[in-house]
Amino acid sequence: MGVVGRPHGVRGLLHVHSYTADPADLPAYGPFEDGRGRRFSLRWRGEGIAELSELIDGRPVPVADRSQAEKLVNLSLYADRDRLPPAGGDEFYLADLIGLQAVGADGTPLGQVDAVHDYGAGASLEIGALFVPFTRAAVPVVDIAAGRITVVPPDEIVVPGRADDAA
Amino acid sequence: MARSVWKGPFVDGYLLNKAEASRGSGRNEIIKIWTRRSTILPQFVGLTFGVYNGHKFLPVQVNENMVGHKFGEFSPTRTFHGHSADKKARRG
Repeated sequence: MGVVGRPHGVRGLLHVHSYTADPADLPAYGPFEDGRGRRFSLRWRGEGIAELSELIDGRPVPVADRSQAEKLVNLSLYADRDRLPPAGGDEFYLADLIGLQAVGADGTPLGQVDAVHDYGAGASLEIGALFVPFTRAAVPVVDIAAGRITVVPPDEIVVPGRADDAA
Repeated sequence: MARSVWKGPFVDGYLLNKAEASRGSGRNEIIKIWTRRSTILPQFVGLTFGVYNGHKFLPVQVNENMVGHKFGEFSPTRTFHGHSADKKARRG
């Protein structure tokens, strides 16, 4: 969910880079784990500057000074998937879509969703060499629980006799 | 310097033909184009284009807010690494 950056000041504050869509939401996903079993809580103290506390026996112990803060530089903060609010309606977390098995309308395996792209013109799924728009027409069924999506690759428009179609 | 208004928006000719063919069909179709320089016109709204980025055709679903922009703006040519941890995709 985030990465700890350089220390800020002498009172144990740290720069934290948030990977959430809105950085202000980051503390709500805590407590965080660091991949080595340690747990941390986080509280913003300024723009991009946070106070980290290590949870020892459920009790928060704040990072007290700069030397302690320096030991946390580059620490990755992870949160349980369950802490994310449920996606509603036709919205899906990218993390849930990536890795799903794609099958055709007739059940033919097409591959695995490698990435989800969104450059401001609607989301699209990368399935091997295939790119499909993430629309109801092209992806009619998304079954996260079964780990599968049904893909109907769109037809390509060809205008006969145009030189550009041969390019 | 901005393009002179009297010239109108620039659009490659073959793109207009393909869009016209797709608009009549009303099916699940994608229009593969190489013309990243063409302006998005109001008659393209609702269509899905595959815009070449030098490597692959990225799907671009045109909506009203994109009119006046160029197709290339929505098909980046550089590799994108990573995304927000809690980012969601909305099915169009």
